[in-house]
Amino acid sequence: MSSTCDDPGLPGPGGASAASLTVQPFSPRRILERAVRGLLWLCAALAIAVTAGIVLSLLFEALRFFGKVPLTDFLFGLEWSPQTALRADQVGSSGAFGAVPVFTGTLLITGIAMAVAVPLGLLSAIYLAEYAHARVRQLVKPILEILAGVPTVVYGFFAALLIAPALRDAGSPFGIDISSESALAAGLVMGVMIIPFVSSLSDDVIHAVPNALREGSLGLGATKGETVRQVVLPAALPGIVGAVLLALSRAIGETMIVVMAAGLAAKLTANPFEAVTTVTVQIVTLLVGDQEFDSAKTLAAFALGLVLFLVTLSLNVVALHVVRRYREQYE
Amino acid sequence: MSSPGPAAARLSEDARTRRRHAADRRFRLYGLSAVVLALLALVALLGSIAFNGLSAFRHHQLELEVTLDRETLGLPDGPVDVSDLRGANYMGVIRERLRALHPEVSSRKEKRALYGLVSSVAGFELQQLVLADPALLGRSVRVALPLSDESGRYLKGDISRETEESRRKLNDRQLDWIDAWRDQGFVQSAWNTRFLTGGDSREPEVAGLGGALLGSLWTLLVTLALSFPLGVAAAVHLEEFAPRSRVTDFLEVNINNLAAVPSIVYGLLGLAVFLNFMGLPRSAPVVGGLVLALMTLPTIIIAARAALRAVPPSIREAALAVGASPLQVVVHHVLPLALPGILTGTIIGMARALGETAPLLMIGMVAFIADPPSGPLSPATALPVQIYLWAESPERAFQELTFGAILVLVAFLLVMNAVAIILRNRSEKSW
Repeated sequence: MSSTCDDPGLPGPGGASAASLTVQPFSPRRILERAVRGLLWLCAALAIAVTAGIVLSLLFEALRFFGKVPLTDFLFGLEWSPQTALRADQVGSSGAFGAVPVFTGTLLITGIAMAVAVPLGLLSAIYLAEYAHARVRQLVKPILEILAGVPTVVYGFFAALLIAPALRDAGSPFGIDISSESALAAGLVMGVMIIPFVSSLSDDVIHAVPNALREGSLGLGATKGETVRQVVLPAALPGIVGAVLLALSRAIGETMIVVMAAGLAAKLTANPFEAVTTVTVQIVTLLVGDQEFDSAKTLAAFALGLVLFLVTLSLNVVALHVVRRYREQYE
Repeated sequence: MSSPGPAAARLSEDARTRRRHAADRRFRLYGLSAVVLALLALVALLGSIAFNGLSAFRHHQLELEVTLDRETLGLPDGPVDVSDLRGANYMGVIRERLRALHPEVSSRKEKRALYGLVSSVAGFELQQLVLADPALLGRSVRVALPLSDESGRYLKGDISRETEESRRKLNDRQLDWIDAWRDQGFVQSAWNTRFLTGGDSREPEVAGLGGALLGSLWTLLVTLALSFPLGVAAAVHLEEFAPRSRVTDFLEVNINNLAAVPSIVYGLLGLAVFLNFMGLPRSAPVVGGLVLALMTLPTIIIAARAALRAVPPSIREAALAVGASPLQVVVHHVLPLALPGILTGTIIGMARALGETAPLLMIGMVAFIADPPSGPLSPATALPVQIYLWAESPERAFQELTFGAILVLVAFLLVMNAVAIILRNRSEKSW
């Protein structure tokens, strides 16, 4: 029994007998194969449906929001106080939806997190890939990855319960007034969480740099460190950039740590000791609890969600593209 | 050897070489300290979870012999029905017993301080006993009563007598009473079974994880039932049947990007589509499961594709050569060989879904729900959401419960990941 002859081969006298052996076009077997393959295709296409669902649902609600609040006010306004709308007849019940302080707060916390994760992650990756014994690397790498596997709600609890009060107490002897919901506490803890995002992928790309490059550099008399800094790292740079961008996207979208450890009030400041709020915190506070789906307050969450999705999506697209190009270069 | 010529020059380091070597050693040290620092952070995190969480599994109870006197219970002498039994004044019985223990207590204020040492829901224990066996009415029974959260903290050493009286919730007199009970053997230390089996409560001393565990179970069952078949089917299509084309490329990029979309965005999707558009019930595990299924789908697809790719083409060619149809090749030969790898990826995806909180907040699984869910449609919370809820509660005793709940969650994740690793190591096959 042979399946339908997709291959055009088998010429000559054998062709006729082969044709008689092929399954009839409407045999149940053929229909089943077709149906199952169609089903498989549908499952794969579901991924596109999910993306479309995300984009459409965010866009739909966000457009309703921009019908109430002009896009320019949202993107460039300097005041964010959606919670003022307590009663319809209240003065100023429309609230203020200038998202700039929310964006700067997100950037501040993300910046602190990256300032922790990039040096620690990159140096760890260099040490594990270049200096450590292969056994040590095999053991330590998965252990470091546990950091990314711990649920974020656990990090949030630690940031709020232990790190934030410790920072506040550490600041007071120096006369520094550190808020108990400081950007620093949330950023530091988030930085620890994303170390493996930087270290694991960087470790992979550094490991993938061809040995010939290292040997050439060492042969010319460079020390190991000089080889790493001047030859290996530049060669691995695109991959490392990709890793850092993925970590950045992860930090921007991180929710529970900031919900539990960062503030609620949107303040336009670059001071890491003050409390700031982030996009994800605002989405959660606007949507948890009672919702009215015609108020600007609720819809604002979807506008923020749309911004979050677009920013992280572009970061991911660039990062995945860079990493892929890099892989092709050395494979 | 003896000639001090060029050989010696090569062997002795000049200042510049020494500097370069010192820089080299420093660089290496930076790398090592980064690794050590990251590992220390992990040890501190896991260590403090274990250190603080274990005490949640033990608790203290007040074991007393109380008389279920009809008069004190407020019950008539004749036959009583269930509603009478439910509404009886069980706290009155307990209070009377406490007064008998400390006859010297007379003023209202002191009495209230004394009663406050026992949990305000202690009467519930007696109610359960009597409802199970109404014949106990009028008799004496020995019961283990839950103590109040503050008494429990004192017995566990969280509250110290040295602390200024005004800065703790229990005054010196109350501490004396507890000490007296302990010395007389009324206070028993026991395993806190309610912590793992009971529902949530506003009173920390009786709050349990049971409801959240059931909620997580229902949610994960829905997630698994959806994401496993869909993910495997999508992977089979992409890896075995899809032609190399623009559409396939687009699908691939799409799936890779979906894997990196922030989880809260999936929550927004669930809120807009499943709750508002389709009208599914809020707080229900089925919606949580749907959202988490969409979230874990890319992870499973990517893992399943890698597992399918690892099956050598010779297997497929051999099957095709003996007359199997393309579908038979996949179902009879490729999938069974790839299954361990696919399961590894699925378990890791499920572990991620178990620890996920943010999307569940969006679809209302954060409400206070005391009763464990009876099915995927009844309102529920999940384990990480319960951690969030307790972490945000003001009572200090919830802090211990939060650590305990984190310990349970981390234990589940460790077991799941360990299973995944074992499965991967056992299935690793060189063809």
